[in-house]
Order: sequence, then structure tokens, then C-alpha cells
Amino acid sequence: MSALGDGLGWLRDTLLRLLPHATRPGLRRIGSPGPTSPVLLTGNFTLTVRRVTEALAGRDVWLLVADSRGINVWCAAGGGHLTHHDVIAVVRSSGIAERVSHRRLVLPQLAATGVERRIVEERTGFEVRWGPARLEKLAAYLDAGGHTKRRWRRMYFPRWERLEIALMWAAPVAALSGAVLWAIEDLRVGLAGAAALAATIFGIFAGLRWLPASGGKRWLTYLGGSVLATGLGAALLALVAPLQGIPVGLLAVTNTAAMLVLSLDLAGTTPWYPSTMNTLGNRFDLALDIDRCTGAADCVLVCPRDVLAMTGKARKVSIAKPDACLRCGACVVQCPEDALHFRFSDGRVVPAETVRRTRMNMLGRRAVEVAAPSQNQAQSQHGGGGGH
Amino acid sequence: MSSYVYMKVLESTPERYDRGIRLLSGGTIDALWAEIAAKVAKPGARILDIGCGTGGLSLACAERDAAVTGLDKDAGMLSVARKKAADTGFLHAPRWLEVGVMEMEDVLSPESCDAVVSCLAMSELLPEERAYTLRQAKLALVPGGVLMLADEAAPEGDSARLWWRLKRAPRVALTWLLTQQTTRPMQGLADEVRAAGFDGVQEARATEGDFIVVSATRAARP
Repeated sequence: MSALGDGLGWLRDTLLRLLPHATRPGLRRIGSPGPTSPVLLTGNFTLTVRRVTEALAGRDVWLLVADSRGINVWCAAGGGHLTHHDVIAVVRSSGIAERVSHRRLVLPQLAATGVERRIVEERTGFEVRWGPARLEKLAAYLDAGGHTKRRWRRMYFPRWERLEIALMWAAPVAALSGAVLWAIEDLRVGLAGAAALAATIFGIFAGLRWLPASGGKRWLTYLGGSVLATGLGAALLALVAPLQGIPVGLLAVTNTAAMLVLSLDLAGTTPWYPSTMNTLGNRFDLALDIDRCTGAADCVLVCPRDVLAMTGKARKVSIAKPDACLRCGACVVQCPEDALHFRFSDGRVVPAETVRRTRMNMLGRRAVEVAAPSQNQAQSQHGGGGGH
Repeated sequence: MSSYVYMKVLESTPERYDRGIRLLSGGTIDALWAEIAAKVAKPGARILDIGCGTGGLSLACAERDAAVTGLDKDAGMLSVARKKAADTGFLHAPRWLEVGVMEMEDVLSPESCDAVVSCLAMSELLPEERAYTLRQAKLALVPGGVLMLADEAAPEGDSARLWWRLKRAPRVALTWLLTQQTTRPMQGLADEVRAAGFDGVQEARATEGDFIVVSATRAARP
């Protein structure tokens, strides 16, 4: 790809990262793969495909690009846009089975919330292995012979990626806010407002480690952000002209609106993060029916937050770190015994089958489509701290 | 209405799909389903609906006492189809299968269908998926069985197509803003059906030229 095309692609993928960008699904060669080369799979978000390709530079790998509607793997799997149907489709349409002599397929671990491993194995004859949570670990994962390590299963966002996400939010939110201010007041106010809001958003993301971003105190972060952005905007305006009340009032209104938008999913920037929007204030937690657990440990292998652990003697799973749970549902989807489910604070239960069939989206359908409280959950071991 | 670009908005919310698609088509989608059903759905006929979505075409066939199997990879759309079917008493209750088109070989027996139908689904597939789907459809059909595919199509003639594109542009833009996706009107579907080895391939336009309906038969055994 040309340097210009690369640059434009980077701009599109970074500034407009909130929007899907699809590349053609199908089989790609990295290096010169042969019959024994590993087969990896990813979604068809342009940024993902580019980064996976970069991460595997210098190796010989078959890369299957599944149709995830141009959305990154985790969001697509959580939103029902990357399922086992899409994986089976690309395995079959690519003819990969005729190109390799082995039958091992490495799926991104973060696809586990949407892709049912067993169905892929049944229908394709490929044994599915979960790769690492982050693609920076792909090379090491392949060097280790396709065996994952506990620390590679943990999902985390390094600071540079938090700043990318800040840019993803700051670009459209500040542009929109600036345009509104320009339309109502004038260009100066628009520019000052956009610059101050963008800087504030960067500041919040940079300080996420220290700022309250979830829980009851998160409102302090949003309020502080609104006050800071307004003060900063007013200071910028004061540099060029004496301050007037109306523009500052407008800044306060647009900044508060922008912070409200960000507050919907500030901490995770994922559609299923337990934000107020998803759960409508009704918190749900992971719960385990210990009698059903056979210790298959599928859940342990897909959890991106190390929530679940095998207990030594009993050879069963326990919810070891309930507070770290993201409610992504990967463990519930993969459990062969339906031993895991979600439970709302008001007692309603979301069974595994519902979690598999009803994907979480921004409007919280999983939260809505739930049956009345069930009486037969007495033996459940509850995860999660709050709400009960 | 001249196009179905809002499909993507509707697909993201299965519960609202039917209301939306009726609104967009000005009611013509019901007429199209009825038109196809009238041609293929005889009492007891075994009909396969590929990409059945919320079951509009499937239920139109079931109303004529056909035994319908609807397949779709979207569990949300199928749950709407199931609810709609449960509200109506059919002679043969429709069967719904959550599978993608590339899984047809897993769920279909050879020569098990008298007709294969599909509405607004072929344009959603990659060319290689479409080729596979048509091969599987042919295997699933009995000799002499009928294939009938309806999809959105641009009108013929340069000026008509330009006018159609202009009319469609605002809705394409709005749909893209809301969903970042768009539909792809079909071209060359009849040729692909011919290439898959079907006989008697015919292409007809329906509902003011916005739909093409491609029909064909699997050759009877010599």
C-alpha cells in the first residue's frame, strides 16, 4: 500500500474509529504459508486486519478474515455481528481445509462472547484454540507452540490505546460541539469550545487510572470534566476578547451534553460494559450453579479478566474475582454444561441460552428480554458484589 | 419507495423490522411475498426459505398450507419469526433453523425440497457464498423443483439508473450515518443461477422495477 493510502487509512481508522470500516472477508497469506502453517482468524475491521498483519510480519501464517461487519472482534462478538456462523462461513468459503494438513484454528479469545467453539468444531472439523487477548502477544503465542498463558488471557488497555480511544471520542464530539457553538454564536466560540472539550476528553482518558469512572462517584468525573472544559473554553475566549456571559453559558451547556454522551460508556467504550445505559440501573452479576459444573474450564480459558479459577481439590470452577467481571458473557456462552448465568439484582435470571441468543447492544436488549424471577436458583453461588 | 437501504437499520432491531420494511416498500413487500408464494406454495409443498429473516415470505407460503423451512443466521430475527408463527394456526407449522448459508449442507437432505425461495438475501452474500448457496439449493431441490429469488435491483437504462441513484442517495447517506452499512443492489443474479446449472432461468421485474425475481428449475431426471 502506498504511503498516502496508509496515511489516509490511518486517519480514517483513528479519527473515525467509532464507525465500522470493513475490508473484504476471505483468506489472506502472511509470508509464504504452507500446509503446516498455523491458521488464525480475525474480524474484517480494517484496523484490526492491518494490526494483525503487522504483528505477524516475518512469519508464514494463513489469516482468515471473517465478516464482522467492519467492527472490531470484541465489539462484533458482543453485539452479535461475529458468531460461529461467520467463522464457519469463512472456513468453508476460503477452502482452507484443502490448503493445510492440520486441523487447528486459532480464534481471538475476545471472540468467545459471540462464537460458540463447539459448533465451529462440529461443522468444520477444525479444533478451535483460543489465542491471546491482545494481538501484541500473537507472535509469542505462536512461538510457544499455540499454547496460551494465563497472563496472555487478560485483557488490558495500555496508555497509548487509551489515548487512541480518547482521540476516537474527542474528534467527533468536539467537532459536533464546535459546530453547534459556531452555528449559535460564532466561529471563535466554536473553535475555543471544540479545543477545550477535546483537551478535557484527553485529560479524562489520560487520568482514568486515578479518576472514578464507574460506580456512584463517576458523576464527579463527568461534572468535573464539564466544569474544566467550560473554564478552559472561557479562558481561551478571554485571550482574544472580553468575556461575555452568553458564550460561557453556551459552553457550559454543550460541554455538559458532551459529558453526558461520554458518561454512557466512558469506562469501557464497549457496548456491553456494565454502564447505566446497558443495565438501566439494574445491576447484574455472574452466577454459578456449582452442581452443574464439571470442571471443563472452558470459562477459565476465555475470561479476559481472570475472574474464574479452578479450585484445586473439587476440580470445579469458582468465581474468584467477581468484582473484575465485565459481564461480557464469554464464560456463559462457552460453558458446555450451562452452569453459568447472569442474575439481576432484582432476582431475574438470564439463562445461558438467552445469553447465547440475545446479544448485548447499546440499548441493553439483554437487560430487557429476561423472564420473571426464577425460584430454582437457591443453590447458585453468586458472583459480583453489589446489588444483592 | 425505490430502495431498501434502510434494511440495515431494520436488521439491527429485529422487532421493528417488519413495520419498517412495510413502510419503506409502501406495502409492496407484502405483494411480492404473496406473488412468490402464489407461484410456489401448493398445499403440502416442501419449501426452503434462505435468509428468511423475520419470516415474511415463509409465512406467506405457510398460509397456503406449504411446509416451510426458514433458515437464517440471525437468532434475533428468527425469534421474531417464531413469535409471528405462533400467533397463527398453520396446517404445517414452519420450521426455523439458525444456520448461515454456508451451513446448508449440514441441515439439508438431498432432494428434500419442492421449491427454494429467497427474498432480499442473495445481495447480502459474497460471490463465493452465493455460488455455494446456489449449488446447495440445487442439491436440496427435487428434480423439476423451482428456485425463486427476489432481490433489489437498479433499473435498466442509463438515465433511469442515474435518476434512481440520485433518489436513493439521501437514504443511502442517512442509513450509512445510522448504521455505517448499505445494501448492494444485485447485478447478474440470473447469470449466476445459470452457472450453477439450473434450467429455464428467467428474470422478471416486480413492483415498479425495484425488484428482480429470478426463477429457474432443477432439471427433471432424464
